[in-house]
Amino acid sequence: MKTLTSLLLPLFFFAASAASAAPTANSILAASDAIRNPGGAFSVTVTLTEFQAGKQVDASTLTSYSRTQSNGQFASLVQFVLPARDAGKLMLKNGNDMWFYDPLSKASVRLSPQQRLLGQASNGDVATVNLAKDYTAALAGEEEVQDGERKLRKAHKLALTAANPDVTYASIEMWVDAENSRPIKARFFAESSRLLKTAYYRRYQPQLGAERPTETVIIDGLDPKSVTIMRFSDYAARSIPETWMQRDFLPRFQPE
Amino acid sequence: MRLHPRSFYVSLLMAALAHVQPALAADAELDALDLESAPEASTPAAASNTKVFVEGAWGNAAQRYAPASRAFGRASLDLSYAGKLTPDVRAVFSDRLDYMDPAEAGSDATVNSLREAYVSWQPAGGNNLYELGRINLRYGPAFGYNPTDFFRDGSLRTLTSSNPFAMRENRLGSVMLRGQRLWQGGSLSVAYSPKLEDRASPSGWDLDLGATNNRNRGLVALSTQFSQKLSSQLLLYKEQGESAAVGANMTALLSDAAVAHAEWSNASQVDPVSRALAVPGAATRRNRFAGGVTYTTLGKLSVTAEYQYNGFGASQQDWAALSAAPMSAKVAYLIDARARQELVSRQALMLYVTQKDLFIKDLDLTAFVRFNTEDHSRQSWLELRQHWPKYDLALQWQQFSGKSDSEYGILPYSRIVQVLGNYYF
Repeated sequence: MKTLTSLLLPLFFFAASAASAAPTANSILAASDAIRNPGGAFSVTVTLTEFQAGKQVDASTLTSYSRTQSNGQFASLVQFVLPARDAGKLMLKNGNDMWFYDPLSKASVRLSPQQRLLGQASNGDVATVNLAKDYTAALAGEEEVQDGERKLRKAHKLALTAANPDVTYASIEMWVDAENSRPIKARFFAESSRLLKTAYYRRYQPQLGAERPTETVIIDGLDPKSVTIMRFSDYAARSIPETWMQRDFLPRFQPE
Repeated sequence: MRLHPRSFYVSLLMAALAHVQPALAADAELDALDLESAPEASTPAAASNTKVFVEGAWGNAAQRYAPASRAFGRASLDLSYAGKLTPDVRAVFSDRLDYMDPAEAGSDATVNSLREAYVSWQPAGGNNLYELGRINLRYGPAFGYNPTDFFRDGSLRTLTSSNPFAMRENRLGSVMLRGQRLWQGGSLSVAYSPKLEDRASPSGWDLDLGATNNRNRGLVALSTQFSQKLSSQLLLYKEQGESAAVGANMTALLSDAAVAHAEWSNASQVDPVSRALAVPGAATRRNRFAGGVTYTTLGKLSVTAEYQYNGFGASQQDWAALSAAPMSAKVAYLIDARARQELVSRQALMLYVTQKDLFIKDLDLTAFVRFNTEDHSRQSWLELRQHWPKYDLALQWQQFSGKSDSEYGILPYSRIVQVLGNYYF
């Protein structure tokens, strides 16, 4: 009996320590969020290039000012840079508190998630939103998956379900590099299980203290020939007070 | 069971397609990875502080009181600047120059509108703001009628579009001193706008302070965000010689696709119909209201339905009284209501529709109908606008329908068609 115990005990401890060392789905998701999103307040310039059947049909530029609010909510204020017609217009997203502001007409218009989904700013959510807060992750397996540079990567496949009914996407499938927790690819679904977007995160470069994806390729779920490439540049740590993330501040917003 | 040969082949084809489609999608995905972003050098890193565009319009109006239609044209230069003078001080300047051919009756052909010119001081980028100058202070989420937009009176110097959103772009600010304190989920704003001139000026190059600063006025506004889905503003407004007016507005997210808005105000004033009829009348306290819902589909269609109520607007009896009086009384009432951006009738309905990317990319349709529920006259407006990176081209059509003595049936034009072009620098 003693021999059996002495044999089983180390085995038990080994199994227990192995289990505690294995990352949970939620911790994998949080680690990949931290790679996409620098902690603290920051700004980033986003260049969006739209393609239809492989041909460039549009290009636009916006600057995103983001921070995590004290309640844990990731909030972003997007200012349009190009095209010239839209320059200076603002889009605020603080959870479901979403506003569009046009400095010319001084009109602040509350947006529904569906309205925001139609604009390019919603593609920013695919790239920068903090998923671990709003979704519950489950490990759906280990897979070899092609990354945004067409290289095969060993990845954790995560199945994300909305923990909060107010989020834009009801569920998400996400592939995270098993080696370094880098997000590789994600598929975003509507409540009807309709595929809305597929995103590939690529071109990793050092930005604000970590290797981060500087491009996201977004493929329309309904029309895969409709593709948007988002390029992120000029990451900068910023002082962005919490009180700026509200409708009443939009007419006063003036970046440095 | 005997399988019909055609059914068999269809089933086979469906099975093959079911197999092939994900593969095609996967191929399209992989093709997407070969695409490259636009070159970096072509894009600036931040929005320019200055925005300039020119607009040209040419059109034709069918006249009610003359046999021939009338051609008209307009050229506009629009300039706005917002930038930091020091880390804490921001300057805002916004101006528009319109040349109209023919000129509006009683106005110059060239009209300059200094919309805004003010400095804003935000000590240490903190939560307090102080502003001084000509400021366009606008409140109210409704589309076609804004009872809580207390500074709307006299603010429209030129009318270049009937679209309520475009109308706001031409609006003059009022000279004021304003302070605001922000906190998480709300703010308090206090504004004081002094009397600087007696009356509006018809001169095209005048600053026209008489249009916006012809009496002392003050406004306190408290904004509260109750939740991510519900926010409101409470307003207290007082002008020289009048009782205080109160107002409230709110917006609410009803679902993934629907947003509701409502605004209400309560004020005491002399009934404008009595004023137009030159009948002596005491001030009475009445309500104004606008409320509606906007629904957006995934097909990029947005539809807003709005109900509008003005307790001081003309009821059917008021309209009958105005119709029985000399024509000048009704014209005076309509001109006064337009200058104050007031609802002419007691009640009205509005339907506002936008369709982005109609048939082709960057072709937008905007249309609205305003319906006077008292006299059943209506205004219909439709615009098709194609966007390119630096310029827009638009075709606008509007129709004023109704009986000859109705709100829209009495207007000098029955139909206006115009082509507009914008170039953005």
